[in-house]
Amino acid sequence: MEMETKSANFYAGALERIRSFMIGLAVLLSLAAWAAFRWPAALGFQLGCAIAYINFYWLKRVVSAMADRITQTGKRESGKGIVLRFLLRYVLMGVGAYAILSVSPASLYGLLTGLFLPVGAIACEAGYELYVAVARGL
Amino acid sequence: MRKPSYLLMMLSVLCFAVPAFAQEKGGGTSHGDWVAITSGFAMAIASAVCGLAQARATAAAAEGLARNPSARPGIQLALILGLALIESLALYTLVIIFAKVA
Repeated sequence: MEMETKSANFYAGALERIRSFMIGLAVLLSLAAWAAFRWPAALGFQLGCAIAYINFYWLKRVVSAMADRITQTGKRESGKGIVLRFLLRYVLMGVGAYAILSVSPASLYGLLTGLFLPVGAIACEAGYELYVAVARGL
Repeated sequence: MRKPSYLLMMLSVLCFAVPAFAQEKGGGTSHGDWVAITSGFAMAIASAVCGLAQARATAAAAEGLARNPSARPGIQLALILGLALIESLALYTLVIIFAKVA
């Protein structure tokens, strides 16, 4: 029973860990991009990371608001607001891509790479969960 | 009811045979044009399939939540990760298109 509680607590913290992995990866890879490809690519990568982070945060909020509406718990947000925020994420990505494209093509590649930050963070989380499952048996 | 549908079918067939769209002498599409055309189709297909996948995932999660509200933390986590990964598939296509076209 205690093991089950520990396991449930561990998996409940997955989203927070993914957020931390995103911040850590963004800092590390920005430094690597700056060292390897100089500032335009690093700037693009940082912008991509920022957009991906906001995107992930809004996705989390939208899903949470949707779950609140379905289970009829928590503060009820308007349906319009939920849909608007869901669509606004794409507008943000488009504006970021356009802004960076007008600066330099090298930073566009950085931006596109930065947009994959959540995927990298999820992969890190999967690796960490695998390690914990093998090492601690959770 | 059948006559209008036959008429529409005939019209659509005729659209494919419009002489204005005929290839000019020595004016065929180059390799670059085909890359651009196929990139457009690839992005459209990727967006459509990702949209369908997101809709299915959301519908399944909503149904699961409505049936069993106590399972909310697990379902919510799976939905967020699923949506993020599905979205990244459309991004992969976009990156490939940029790499091929630009």
